[in-house]
Amino acid sequence: MENNTKKYWKGLEELHQSPEFVKNSKNEFAEELPIEELLSESKVNNPTPRRDFLKALGFGMSAVALAACNEAPVKRAIPYLIKPEEITPGIANYYTSNYNGLGVLVKTREGRPIKIEGNPNDPIAKGGTDAVAQASVLDLYDSSRIKNPMMKGADATWENVDKFVKEALATATNVRIVSNTIMSPSTKLVIADFAVKYPSTKHITFDASSYSGMINANNNSFGKAVIPSYNFDKADVIVSFGADFLGTWISPVEYTKQYVQNRNNKSLEAKKMSRHVQFETILSLTGTNADSRYTHKPSQQGLAVLALYNAIASKTGAAAVAGVSVPFEKIINETANELLNAKGKSLVVCGSNDVSVQVAVNAINSLLGNYGTTIDLDNASYQKQGNDAEMIDFVAEMNAGKIDAVIFYNTNPAYNYAKGAEFAEALKKVKTKVSFADRADETALLCDVIAPSTHYLESWDDVSAKRGVYSVVQPTISPVYNARAAQSSLLVWADATLDYFTYIRNNWEKNVYPQASGFAGFSAFWDAALQTGVVTTTAITPQAYSFNNNLSAVAQTIIAASKNAGKIEVVVYESVGVRDGAHANNPWLLEMPDPVSKVTWDNYAAINPKFAEELGIKENTKVDVTVGTAKLSLPVLMQPGQAMGTIGVAMGYGRTNVGKAGNGVGVNAFPFVTLVNGTFQYFNTNATVTATSEAYELAQTQTHHTYEGRDIIREKSLKEYAHPEKHEGHAEGEGHSKENVDLWAAYPRNGHHHWGMAVDLNSCTGCGACVVACSAENNVPVVGRDEVRRRREMHWIRIDRYYTYESAEGKDITQEKEYNNVENYENVKVIHQPLMCQHCDHAPCETVCPVLATMHSSEGLNQMAYNRCVGTRYCANNCPYKVRRFNWFNYWNDDRFVNFLQDDAAYLALNPDVTTRSRGVMEKCSFCAQRIQAGKLSAKIEKRALKDGDVQSACQQGCPANAIVFGDVNDPESEVSKLIKSDRTYFLLEEINVQPGVGYMTKVRNTIEA
Amino acid sequence: MGFHLSITKKLSVRTILMLTSFVLTFTSVKAQDAKVGEGIFKANCTSCHAIDRQVIGPALKDVDKRWADKGLLKKFIVASQEVIKSGDKYAADLFQKYNGTVMPNHNLSDAELDSLLAYIKTEGDKPAEVAAAPAAGAAAGTDGTLVNNYTIGGLILLIVVLLVVMVVLNRVNGSLDRLIRMKNGEALENFVKVVKEKISNFKWMLRNKKKVFWFLLLFMGAFSVWGWDQMWNINVNTGYQPTQPIKFSHEIHAGLNQVNCQYCHSGAFKSKNASIPSANVCMNCHNYVQATEKYNGEISPEIKKIYTALDYNPETRTYGTNTKPIEWIRVHNLPDFAYFNHSQHTTVAGIACQTCHGPVQAMQEVSQFAPLTMVWCINCHKATEVKSKGNAYYDKLLATHEEIKKGKKVTAAMLGGLECVKCHY
Repeated sequence: MENNTKKYWKGLEELHQSPEFVKNSKNEFAEELPIEELLSESKVNNPTPRRDFLKALGFGMSAVALAACNEAPVKRAIPYLIKPEEITPGIANYYTSNYNGLGVLVKTREGRPIKIEGNPNDPIAKGGTDAVAQASVLDLYDSSRIKNPMMKGADATWENVDKFVKEALATATNVRIVSNTIMSPSTKLVIADFAVKYPSTKHITFDASSYSGMINANNNSFGKAVIPSYNFDKADVIVSFGADFLGTWISPVEYTKQYVQNRNNKSLEAKKMSRHVQFETILSLTGTNADSRYTHKPSQQGLAVLALYNAIASKTGAAAVAGVSVPFEKIINETANELLNAKGKSLVVCGSNDVSVQVAVNAINSLLGNYGTTIDLDNASYQKQGNDAEMIDFVAEMNAGKIDAVIFYNTNPAYNYAKGAEFAEALKKVKTKVSFADRADETALLCDVIAPSTHYLESWDDVSAKRGVYSVVQPTISPVYNARAAQSSLLVWADATLDYFTYIRNNWEKNVYPQASGFAGFSAFWDAALQTGVVTTTAITPQAYSFNNNLSAVAQTIIAASKNAGKIEVVVYESVGVRDGAHANNPWLLEMPDPVSKVTWDNYAAINPKFAEELGIKENTKVDVTVGTAKLSLPVLMQPGQAMGTIGVAMGYGRTNVGKAGNGVGVNAFPFVTLVNGTFQYFNTNATVTATSEAYELAQTQTHHTYEGRDIIREKSLKEYAHPEKHEGHAEGEGHSKENVDLWAAYPRNGHHHWGMAVDLNSCTGCGACVVACSAENNVPVVGRDEVRRRREMHWIRIDRYYTYESAEGKDITQEKEYNNVENYENVKVIHQPLMCQHCDHAPCETVCPVLATMHSSEGLNQMAYNRCVGTRYCANNCPYKVRRFNWFNYWNDDRFVNFLQDDAAYLALNPDVTTRSRGVMEKCSFCAQRIQAGKLSAKIEKRALKDGDVQSACQQGCPANAIVFGDVNDPESEVSKLIKSDRTYFLLEEINVQPGVGYMTKVRNTIEA
Repeated sequence: MGFHLSITKKLSVRTILMLTSFVLTFTSVKAQDAKVGEGIFKANCTSCHAIDRQVIGPALKDVDKRWADKGLLKKFIVASQEVIKSGDKYAADLFQKYNGTVMPNHNLSDAELDSLLAYIKTEGDKPAEVAAAPAAGAAAGTDGTLVNNYTIGGLILLIVVLLVVMVVLNRVNGSLDRLIRMKNGEALENFVKVVKEKISNFKWMLRNKKKVFWFLLLFMGAFSVWGWDQMWNINVNTGYQPTQPIKFSHEIHAGLNQVNCQYCHSGAFKSKNASIPSANVCMNCHNYVQATEKYNGEISPEIKKIYTALDYNPETRTYGTNTKPIEWIRVHNLPDFAYFNHSQHTTVAGIACQTCHGPVQAMQEVSQFAPLTMVWCINCHKATEVKSKGNAYYDKLLATHEEIKKGKKVTAAMLGGLECVKCHY
């Protein structure tokens, strides 16, 4: 087998082999047995007196004795009085819907939504989902939502609310509706109708994470105030300046689908792979996937874009701008060459919200001829429509006392406006304040009326995420609480007689149906729209646009802005899980480890370890970060790959009024957002950082399940992959040891199904959708920050993130001692490796279980029988992959843990086909056994052979990158059996001959070799 | 005595019945008509009419008196709409009164109509008490067999008191005996001797330690076996027969009336859950079937419970909003950690419902038939052949299976039917 000389590490503690790390890696379970905690009644840390122990023991014995004598328990079965025709108890129904522009299928059981899947018909997401969409079902049952409309802080009836609001609006002379981006054409019409009734109404769109700069830039450059559609699939060379397009930027699921098309197995087999260069400050999810990655301070971003423009302009004969210099000129020039070689098949994107920078990016793309190919301005995206200037004007108007009434819809400026406190002050001057928030959030608390709007799974709506793409949002459950769709409320207040459903239907009949063809009538069209979930009208052929403006003014602005930068700069970014904080009460999202830092339940000040050393900042402490008047106390995270001299802080945390799980998690970073030249800037060039002695341990999972540096990563450059003969070593697959000596007889692998999985490390972006999808499907408990610190997270699938260091010259550092001499930790490369139970044919866990609670099935599954398990944990000790999870507590019923099941209604989101595990048993990935059984059963009922794709694991279905392929390896036609045979496929730790059932496909990087 | 009594009672009832029928046959020719009429009535009219109360249509008692023209009445039964359209005022009013509900046409001959009307007349003329008699009898029957907790408690108390009395009397008897004997001059040693004799029994035990040991061992062995058996049967509830909120009889529905199991348990062949029918399924039949003949013309109190649950008013035939679900008690309980899918066993394996649920069609009240233990599942999986013929799913599976090539019977167990994850996940 191929020996990899490169060193991979998950965290600095592993790299430096810190004493703590070594100790923990030797111990299977980091903590002593928690008997004390288990029996203590109140807090986790109280010791138990002996008497209590005896009491518990005695009670336990008698309870067991009593239970044994018990008669059959009386269990009630309450059937429907009038059963809805479409419901068969025990069989799931799927409804098409749309979550924030992603086409989804909602799985309902007995009338309650329990799982979100991607809708393969959706032309935008193409069946992919992200963690946020997967987790959205939990928000539906959130008991922190208010149960009734509220007026002046007290419960009210809808009649009273309507009366109050109508009276207030009747006399109002200046009405404002503030919302985030509205993708629903019907909602926009409702607002327009509302404005007809109340003519002083103005609609203001405000996005916490704004793309106003880009919209304005497109307006300046091409007269089109839109966000374009990007085609990453058509780009051979992708250059991103701080745009996290795989994680959070505009439409990450769509871009992930496109991006991997040129990097997945199919593409690689054709020896083709796109090249991706990332320039950024923090280590973003997109940065971890880049082929080449360079860091810079945020103040340098505009300059870097201008430098690239100059480099390209000089080769295409366009006018260069003067006065631009960046330290990494050489890299910029190389990048320019690459881009020019792929003219018309390249793409430059930038995450900046600065109009000037975006104009410069437009100029580059225009020089490269990308408009009409990789950038489509005609089929515009409606996913971000925030207008910063309008919002700023609105706050000024409020301050001037000009506004009589304001209605907030899906927005929370008191929390996420750059100057939240100032906003709250200004809001006091408004006479009537109404919020459609589903909970008493930061803004709603300041309002007179909270008219709770419904969750998207409870009401009708429609979505048009792009020009010509329409989908319907269907209700899949009656409102859980006494909520009413915001649109219905607006219609009532505007004295409209139509209900919102009829309103949408009429709108579609009038505006969407005429654009479609091939339907017998509107009803047929509507039914088809509901069934497929999406309607596309004829796309416009994208036109080529050229940038004809003068860049010099723009360049001057950029150059001016880059000056006066201080020593320390701060970046505020969206994290992949929590995003802008609207769903910060979702425990699935809070417990999902951040794809890059692997931190759960907190945000933090990310800092380069070398820079931290310079500043004298120690690990596990807090620092005070100050920008202007805003001072935040944040825990420190040593983040390799972060630019020197910078601090990165995630937005979306620090909510104070979001609910039980999310309140007080992290710190609100929105005060760091500044207003520059009319747009919100998510960085600041003058910050100060002070080390404090306050200790704080982040709940970080990165080294929790370690291999002790065993070689489990395979990585190659595209050249090595495409021309293996030129390089030393041999192709993967040939190195597999041929002769296996076994102590056990081989399991028969013919005849039955043999379930297997292939994970493409090159497709996997590490986004974490699979982690949440798995939690939702398999009822994986949430354990909370304290338990994660104790290494007791329960996720069945984890994504290991490995760093590897690269010197400034692009050479790999291979020897451990060389690390001490590296200049800084900016140039790290990252590999994401999803890890679930490997379902080994010769599983080490099976042989050590004293009670045979885990054993092998004839279909190649490593089975886990919870009821047999007595909790010796030998299996976890013996698992080389560390994928087994032990239930230290009864997480479902123990109110010491932040668990969604303890929510009044959230247990309704449980998958009824999967047992919830109790205290003292081991659990692990089952390869979605329930889905295998269900897939086989439907084939049997239909009397047909099982087809490939009939059984999809939850992680596979949720993955936006199709990186996980699951199926029957015994079926020669199945995708997985073909992938397992691919020459890229290798098995983790195959040298120990456990014969794992999951194949991994070598990571390939399209690097430029020196 | 009681035996004789009951026989005479039965005999007498029979005689009376026979006599009455004789009298009826001889006294009235019309009675014969009425019998034919009864058949016609039950086949055609009961969905909407009853004799003495309003259902969908009016009560038919005295219908002949209400209609002036008997010919028109007959015509109305055959084709009501024609009569209404012909302009007959009574018919038109009737139609109005019953909210314009159209009575369907009945293709009956004149003779049949006569019989029908004769039946209605005889039934209508019957005094109410006659119908009440069987109901009263039924009530008496239930009283006679009533054994409640108080009776049992009283009996136990009585036994205890008697035992105490016995012991006391025995003591008194002994003392008196001793006194008499002492009075007769018997020496005290004699009494001591008696006591010693008693003690010597224990000495026998000491002398025969081996025998006692073997006896004890045997006893303990038996006790252990019994105890072991008891332990294994903890939470095994074979025969569990909870009292349901509605006295629903599977015997009447599945047995007598041959209603297919699937009609009510519609999920059993396509889903994991067999599913208890929703009340609207009950209403498919019980809209009309109200078992009034058993309850003195009243709707059966058990059927009424369905109506109450649905807030259904049988008079106006309307549904209200004050609904209340029926809380059945589950008879067959599997633990949460065991996944059982009905359709796998019914549709795919072709196993009859009775295999696991027992002769439900003969059960007045359903009780748990099978033990529902894992060993019971496993034994069946070991013994039952997979119904693979004609099911393309199994083709490839069977073609490659060694045992099958040898011509062995393919059981569920051979295809992995004993593996944990088939049922536990």
